[in-house]
Amino acid sequence: MQAFLDSLIRGWGHDPQTWVWTQLIYVAFMGLFSFAVINFAAVTAGIFSWAERRVAGRMQSRVGPNRAGPGGFYQWIADAVKLLTKEDLVPTEADQFLFRIAPYFMMVGFACVFVALPFSHRLVIAEMNVGVFYIIAVTALIVVGIIMSGWSSNSKWSLFGAIRSAAQIISYEIPAGMALMIPVLLSGTLSTQGIIRAQGPWPWEWYIFHDPASFAAFFIYFISALAEGNRTPFDLPEAESELVSGYNTEYSGMRFSYFFLVEWGNMWVMSALATTMFLGGWQVPFLPVTDAADKIAMLSGGWTVLAELASIAIFTFKTLFFVFIVMWLRWTLPRIRVDQMMNMCWKYLVPVSFAAVLFVAGWMLVIHAVPALDWIMRIVLTAGGAITLVMFWLRTLQNIKDTGDKFDFTSNW
Amino acid sequence: MPTETLARQTPAGFGGYTKNITDTAKSFWEGMSVTLSYMFRKPMTTQYPDRVPFPVRDSLPARYRGFLEVDMDICTACQACERACPIAVINIDTVKGDGKNKPKLAMERFDIDIGKCMFCGLCVEPCPTGAIQHTREFEGSVMNFDNLTLRFVPDVLAPWPAYKVPKGSEAFPRRPLGEVTRNLLKKWDAPPPPFPSKDDLAKLDKADYGKPKPVGLDAAAMGRQIAARALQVKGDVPKLGRVIEEAMAGTDCGDCGYADCKGYSDAIAAGADWSAEKCAPGGAESKQMLETIIVTLKTGVLPAAPGVVANATTALGAAPLVADADVPAGPPLSQTLSKDALYKLVNDAMAGTDCGDCEYDDCEGYSKGIVYEGQLDLNRCAPGGEDTKVKLYNIMLGTKPPAA
Repeated sequence: MQAFLDSLIRGWGHDPQTWVWTQLIYVAFMGLFSFAVINFAAVTAGIFSWAERRVAGRMQSRVGPNRAGPGGFYQWIADAVKLLTKEDLVPTEADQFLFRIAPYFMMVGFACVFVALPFSHRLVIAEMNVGVFYIIAVTALIVVGIIMSGWSSNSKWSLFGAIRSAAQIISYEIPAGMALMIPVLLSGTLSTQGIIRAQGPWPWEWYIFHDPASFAAFFIYFISALAEGNRTPFDLPEAESELVSGYNTEYSGMRFSYFFLVEWGNMWVMSALATTMFLGGWQVPFLPVTDAADKIAMLSGGWTVLAELASIAIFTFKTLFFVFIVMWLRWTLPRIRVDQMMNMCWKYLVPVSFAAVLFVAGWMLVIHAVPALDWIMRIVLTAGGAITLVMFWLRTLQNIKDTGDKFDFTSNW
Repeated sequence: MPTETLARQTPAGFGGYTKNITDTAKSFWEGMSVTLSYMFRKPMTTQYPDRVPFPVRDSLPARYRGFLEVDMDICTACQACERACPIAVINIDTVKGDGKNKPKLAMERFDIDIGKCMFCGLCVEPCPTGAIQHTREFEGSVMNFDNLTLRFVPDVLAPWPAYKVPKGSEAFPRRPLGEVTRNLLKKWDAPPPPFPSKDDLAKLDKADYGKPKPVGLDAAAMGRQIAARALQVKGDVPKLGRVIEEAMAGTDCGDCGYADCKGYSDAIAAGADWSAEKCAPGGAESKQMLETIIVTLKTGVLPAAPGVVANATTALGAAPLVADADVPAGPPLSQTLSKDALYKLVNDAMAGTDCGDCEYDDCEGYSKGIVYEGQLDLNRCAPGGEDTKVKLYNIMLGTKPPAA
């Protein structure tokens, strides 16, 4: 971040090193940037709430909200205004202080993640050398908020939901952490930017196609992230049919909207993290950035800005693609049972993730001895992935054809 | 127990373990491709009302029973629809002329209250020319419920001449179905005029501004009308109270000292209160009407009208003003007039719609039947109703018609 600011100031023709109050300017700029990032999180969460409803509508042969503004896009603003102006109700028997403060714990745990999440080649609030560890650590703060809200509501629904959520998040932390260990092993750093720099712009340079174990690790991480974000099919803490609404049953108005802001904002967080760890992040084709050579920094003048924008666009595109997959999953899968959820974690994800870490450690020794194997494995896996995607798309078209329908994405919006 | 079901479904050991994983992958593959395929299909939703390819009414079946419509150009004013209506949704007022300056038969009013209509279709069946029909219109949301009363005669003061069916015609050209009703609904639910601006207010006559506007209520005529009805039900105190209540303002303000308008009128009906000036919101008009009623009740005679009431029914469309005194004494006209003069008189008494309800071809046929052929049934003219019946009995027998 400091480097980014320095380059900005140099772009205006000044040298920050000669200024007296440089540190103060850094602090002010950090504050400004944090404010912008929190707003970014809130706005994306809002937009996702609209996008999710449109996607859900489309997948259920409906239309979804399309009345407020172009394509119904202002719907999320209308919803936000409604939620902000609603009465802030606190149950009489609730623990007043904890009840009021719980949503902020969730908000803080969620917003802190953005500190280490990259947005582009230079756009990251803090390039920490413990970035991944930091993200896993602060995400755990959300559990505290959930337990607080469930306990202080003094309602059985809320408490059940909170306990389920805590059990779920703590369980799935293990496979998620182990899966994230694989990119860390491969790149040799915990820094999010460092992990992206260790990958390349092309699919065969991404860690997802590095070897079979990292391929599996990607899915293990994705499933665990779904569970940690309380997303379907792991939305047991909010199971409407059993728990009314789970830990947020007693909340209303703005505090209630915080829970949903976190849930939808988490979609960005988990997708951005998946992009960072397994899919090459913001790497721009033909301009690979590695620890040894930074091709974007070598560009001059306007080309630097253009490359920077391209890296933002690439990162955003990859992230939004995964956000769409999360929504798509929600409208495909039914909610699983508690015992199934626990089975899946402890019997499948945990052992497989351990095996994957061991395999990667072994594989690293193998490719160190025979470097050609590395490239053969990457190409084979990338080709397999591409074939799978094409086959999946053909299967989808076949599904449309089988029911006598036709491909039509543009009408009846 | 979940573990038992799990054991039953999958083989034990490592094979079962891997089978669970491959099953998961397979079901993801199938399920996700199904939902994605729906993402790329056209949603079933019809975005009624503003994003449809053509108006929804055009997609309805031809015999859909929507709002009623009357083509006034082929309406014979026979009132068969009004009589057929089981819930009195249709109201038709006819007026007769001499056939020279004014049409022989015309309609002052043809109202259909769509808000009450139950779309049974009984009015469409008896219509001799097909003037009244169900349309496929069904979108009748209006700003004011009263706007759902469709007035097919646009102006009461310009009665609409009834259609005279040419002899032997079997087909009646009709306007495109739905056009009239659609226009009426649109026109009558136009937004109210804008509030006057300050300039407009300045232009208004200051002397008149803020004073109550004349409402066009003929208090004298209405008072006589209510008084006549009050006289008819004089002995029946609850009924009399209801009649007298029509002279009140109807605001239930309680200024009169009674709980509501009903209380005041009941007191007058019961003879407990003889004051006419207690209705403050009704003002001078209520006072005048109540005075007429009270005088009538006390004397038993309806006070003389300022003008001559030519028509037996008043413009307000209430009960006929027939008192015992109006029936002339002496032998009936049928015994004093010549047959031809009698025929003319009888024919005039008919409604003149040529509806055929009397089982003769037209009104003239029925009149001939009564005068020349000895037809004794005088109750057959349905469109003429009570009015024609009273006249016929008066002419032929010199009596009032028997009570139904």
